[in-house]
Amino acid sequence: MPAGIENGVFHVELLSPKQSADDLEADLARFAERYRRILDAGHAVCIPDNPMGTLAFHATELIRELALPAGNGRISAHINTFHTRKNLDEILAMAIDLGIDNLLTISGDGSPRLPRLSGGDLGENVHSVTAVELLKHVRRACPGRFSIGVAFNPYEPQDDELEKMRMKVDAGADFITTQPVLGEHPAVEALHEFGLPIVLGCWMSKRLYLLSECVGYEIPQDAVYDGLENLRALTGRYPGCGFYLTMLGFKTQFPQLGEVWPRDEEGEA
Amino acid sequence: MRIVVCVKQVPASSQVTIDPETKRLKREGVAAEMNPFDLYALEEALLLREKLGGRVMALSMGPKQAEATLRECLSMGADEAVLLTDRAFAGSDTWATSYALARAVEALGDTDLVLCGKQAIDGDTAQVGPGLAAHLGWPQVTYVSDVRQTEATHLVVERMNEEGFDVVEVRLPAVLTVVKDINTPRVPTLRACRAARRATVTTLTAQQVNADPANLGLGGSPTRVVKVGPPPARRRKTLVLDGPSESSAERLVHELRMHSIV
Repeated sequence: MPAGIENGVFHVELLSPKQSADDLEADLARFAERYRRILDAGHAVCIPDNPMGTLAFHATELIRELALPAGNGRISAHINTFHTRKNLDEILAMAIDLGIDNLLTISGDGSPRLPRLSGGDLGENVHSVTAVELLKHVRRACPGRFSIGVAFNPYEPQDDELEKMRMKVDAGADFITTQPVLGEHPAVEALHEFGLPIVLGCWMSKRLYLLSECVGYEIPQDAVYDGLENLRALTGRYPGCGFYLTMLGFKTQFPQLGEVWPRDEEGEA
Repeated sequence: MRIVVCVKQVPASSQVTIDPETKRLKREGVAAEMNPFDLYALEEALLLREKLGGRVMALSMGPKQAEATLRECLSMGADEAVLLTDRAFAGSDTWATSYALARAVEALGDTDLVLCGKQAIDGDTAQVGPGLAAHLGWPQVTYVSDVRQTEATHLVVERMNEEGFDVVEVRLPAVLTVVKDINTPRVPTLRACRAARRATVTTLTAQQVNADPANLGLGGSPTRVVKVGPPPARRRKTLVLDGPSESSAERLVHELRMHSIV
């Protein structure tokens, strides 16, 4: 069970600095400041793994190098299939050492610069390694150590996505995180069938058109969208779910999160 | 073993355009990256160092901005980085570039092996590696896909050709150009990236490497680009699935999705 499937605790996506950053130290400082700010507010930090195939730094090395707190159950490190086996082993070892509790295993976005795990690397007789084989591997390599999440895309053909989800659940998934949901989506009901905690994605940027590729249709650049309004709608429509905030604005949106989804009276997260 | 790896900063492949008047690549204001094939050359050098000991030096010729590429080499594990930079180099073609690099290799001294990517993705000539060997008077092996055996005096390498591969023994010092099949380049760690950004990149001028100005720049370049055009469209492979079209399509889509290819 991941941290934050409870009232008032958001899973806030925090992008790690890119390796090509012009001013890496400034980017690292901003990352650390936001990381601490998320935790101080009682939310959970979720750190993607080379999103869109862009070379960035992994959550584990960032937390170690920047001496950030991690053993609090509120860190979710993404891990995808674009690693060498050696690198994967190092990531898992570091995650254990740091006390990270939650992993989100995904197939991920590759690029020519990134290696990809092969079936042989994980002792699996498969053509290509997906989140299923990765999850199985983590289960085998680190038994009982992590709460492991898997991703669900409501915009792909549902029969296939649900079949894939069944494979992920059978492989030992502990929770499900979805791509951003706009208002509501019928697939969420189907996900409840798996009996796992669900963390719904919520797109927070005004630039909704950036989601075009994800949803599979063209969203006009001038489409009007309010991430906080969508988040309000989701928290009302899907009680019992957690919420994963993508592209959150730290200046204007972050301070308003408490109003969108108040904590329980005890104030405990 | 002391290894020099020649690397080039190239425009990011997605942003390449050509100046219609000069027939040259537009580089100003375009994001840059290390030539992808050079990553494999560097990785092979690092693997050889891990096996045999020694030092790996990254060498590049270009403007001050090319330092970023050399720092990337340092972040991957190169011991030293040298930037050959001088106005005298401006406009050099592959012949003049390989001449300058050869003078730099000589000036750095005691080099056992020079590694290059098989070609740069901006010019696509694959001439600098061989040109470097010619200027140095060293043996060369191009399109190397495996280093099978390493000895103090020679290497045994696998070299790709159109029909398969050759196994070649080459005495040292030598120049090798490598293909992507040779290894998987490592991804730098955060710690290494931070250290690389603080590290010193040595700069050398034409004079410091004893390069004759007459052999550099436009004046030292026999090549003239007279026309630039797009390559012919590639033929794409077609996968044929037997059976009724509907079930074949369903099967294909299903298989692709199951493997997370789409």
